[in-house]
Amino acid sequence: MERYLGADDVSALAAGAGLLGSGGGGDVAVGARLLRHALQSRGRARLVAAGDLPPDMVVVHVGLAGAPDVVAERPPGGEDFANAVTALAGALRQRVGAIGVIEIGGLNALIPLVAAQVLGLPVVDGDLMGRAFPRISQTTLAAAGHPATPMAVVGPAGDSVIIESASIDAADRIMRANVAALGGAAAVALYPCRAGTLAALGLPGSLSGCLALGQALVASAGLSVSQLAKRLGGELLCEGRVDEIRPRRGDLPGSLTLTDRSAGHILRLDMLDEYLNVAIDGVSRASAPDVLAVLDPVTFVPVPPDRLRSGQSIALLRLPPIPGWPDGVEGLIGLTAFGIDAGQPEATR
Amino acid sequence: MTAGYAPVSVRDLLTETVLAAAVVVAGRQGLDRPVRDLSWYSGELATTANGHLMVCAAAAVTPSYRLEALVRRAESAGVAALLIASEEQPPLLSTLRLADRLGIPVLSVVGADLVDLLHRLTIRVRAPEVQRARLIEDVVRRLSTKTTAEDILAALGLALSQSVWLLSSDGSAIHGEPISLPSTLRLDLTVPQHSDPSADGQILIHPVTEPGSTQAAAWLASHTAASNEHERIATASALAVAEPYVRAWLISQRVAAERDSVFHGRLLADLIAGQGVVSQDVVERALSAGWRLQDWHVGIHLVRTARVPDPLRDDPVTSMRKLRNALAAQKLIGPVVDRGDGWTVWISSATEPPSSDGRRVLRSVRLMLAQLPAHWEVVAGVGRVHHGPGGLASTLLEARDAATLARTHEYRPAAEHIDELGVARLLAAWQDSEILRAFAETALAPLKGVDGGQLLRTLQAYLEAGGSVSTTSIVLGLHRNTVTARLHRLRERLGVDLDDPNQRLALQLACRSIETEHG
Repeated sequence: MERYLGADDVSALAAGAGLLGSGGGGDVAVGARLLRHALQSRGRARLVAAGDLPPDMVVVHVGLAGAPDVVAERPPGGEDFANAVTALAGALRQRVGAIGVIEIGGLNALIPLVAAQVLGLPVVDGDLMGRAFPRISQTTLAAAGHPATPMAVVGPAGDSVIIESASIDAADRIMRANVAALGGAAAVALYPCRAGTLAALGLPGSLSGCLALGQALVASAGLSVSQLAKRLGGELLCEGRVDEIRPRRGDLPGSLTLTDRSAGHILRLDMLDEYLNVAIDGVSRASAPDVLAVLDPVTFVPVPPDRLRSGQSIALLRLPPIPGWPDGVEGLIGLTAFGIDAGQPEATR
Repeated sequence: MTAGYAPVSVRDLLTETVLAAAVVVAGRQGLDRPVRDLSWYSGELATTANGHLMVCAAAAVTPSYRLEALVRRAESAGVAALLIASEEQPPLLSTLRLADRLGIPVLSVVGADLVDLLHRLTIRVRAPEVQRARLIEDVVRRLSTKTTAEDILAALGLALSQSVWLLSSDGSAIHGEPISLPSTLRLDLTVPQHSDPSADGQILIHPVTEPGSTQAAAWLASHTAASNEHERIATASALAVAEPYVRAWLISQRVAAERDSVFHGRLLADLIAGQGVVSQDVVERALSAGWRLQDWHVGIHLVRTARVPDPLRDDPVTSMRKLRNALAAQKLIGPVVDRGDGWTVWISSATEPPSSDGRRVLRSVRLMLAQLPAHWEVVAGVGRVHHGPGGLASTLLEARDAATLARTHEYRPAAEHIDELGVARLLAAWQDSEILRAFAETALAPLKGVDGGQLLRTLQAYLEAGGSVSTTSIVLGLHRNTVTARLHRLRERLGVDLDDPNQRLALQLACRSIETEHG
């Protein structure tokens, strides 16, 4: 089934992507500007389910890799993403039929639409992560043993690198090294696959789900935070004040101490670039791959970890999980993947 | 002695020099938690951590969220406190708040040698255990040569500086003054127990069990003056150590009693079978048993008629002890032979007793029966006074005949004298007559259905006790005044003069005829 996305939908889509970023995934505002421009100049984007595409059609996933600061300072152009896809198509020596979404959280939920508009291709309604994750290995395709390569990395100056073949972890390292060499931020085309593979292994419908979530958020002016949580189908874990911020140290997660305003619970929110784990009174209540959203309790604007301030009032929500991840992937996307061992099973979830 | 130390609290430990530099970073309100022991935390919280001070190296509680998870688990495991080696970063605020809320003290030390610290604190915390070990050593040393209950209890009492008792399985004192146990102590549960601590201290009991039995054969009991936990544990350990010694004594007692019982039973059978002709062999054996065959004898035969014996309370040794106590209380001193379903007792004297002695013995036997456990349902028969070895056989046979008659009575305890057997047979004929039964119906009609038959039973007991208020009160387990009041009511209801022998006889006949009917 096809549907179309217009410039009017960009705000809602960006809002949804901001929530699903779970604190990470970069600044959606950059992506929203690029997308709005692309839709205004080239018309509406076409959204298709992977299952509706010919099974043999080649789908290439597109995204932006790099430091958020660099992206904010020097926003990429839409052409970069199209170039990355073209470069990868060249390496594949195959025609690309559709563009895929690698992560539905943050900036990269919007970028594929930009690339698709430039190339005049449809976008697959779905993604590979169900939220934002920091590593390209944390996808449903990688979990099923599908390689991320060949991969194309294209810098803002048009410099391009093709990574022919690499293991999934090596691909991540090589990509980062190249992104750093290309100036700190670059367009990436990766995970080329058949539409049939994607229909079987992807997380279908997550792009329209993201849009729906964003629409619900945009239309929620005047609601209380708990009403908002209910409307989003999620759970309000805490509404209160930030008492202490302990920043991350390298790969060691940082933590946030919160006091719950109503119930008086003691909350700890563990985070790296994304929010990863919530412990209430010392017991883990929600953790990756759950989507955790920290919002301003008045404006409902998502607050990423680097914008938290001591004394700030926030609301902490757990959003409904996007289904589709197979069982037994905790090592890939669970807390241990982030160097957090929740200790003994303290589960009272 | 075991007193003199209180359980060490976290606060106490902080006064130790090795902890001089320690800082309480959270959970201050839990500082009075007692510390039972120390242990090293290496990432796993042992199930035995209850009451422990956990010493944690920095690596075990890094990153910070690990400490928070530990605080949470420490609370559910009952850990007394956490001692952490300081990291560059203080614990998370959420961790401190959680520890505050749960009252788990978190102590932090900088640059300490944790192994040395653990050693030093362990000595302080385990002092009570060292003292307890010394006490046990003392108890073992004192008990090593003791074989009788008296010696064992005396040695144990000295070691503990406390009163110690040996109680029978039903709680009555075998050694030591009688003691009343609090109702919270359950003698039907064969496990060590202690009463609730109070200002008077605590009573501890420890079961003495024989091999192959799950029931306590006896109980060791002690009374601690103080009521702190360490002292209680120390005393309980000492009782447990003493238990096998008591058990050995008990078994030796039992073996001796069984051996005597077999020997005496056989000797008695030979005596009775001889019927006046006594062989030299029997005389020698009787002499070795301490029996004075040439004296004057009065025989008493006791039978336990309870259909359901209570194995918990009726083991042969304690039963025999109870019987001897009851006999001694009535000055009925003489050989006692266990007959399995009862006992044969006789009283010997060098000179011929007056002929009224039979009556005196019967009265004493009635009083004695009243002191035996009611659930035995004992009946007794008393023989006439006879002389010599043949006389002993005669009086014992008479006693058994009298006991057989006593057995036909409905009430327990019952006792009969052989002298009354002739009369009793006469009465037995009477009891079957229609005239007497008709008389009984009318005479006792005012008592039917009154007070659930209490008045009738009182009348029966009074008449059987030969008109003695005191014997009646003992037999029925009532106060004298209650018996007197009931007799007063009986007189009113029946309109009879109970002091008139004729009327008394008529009533007794009436009572017995009713008894026969029911029996």
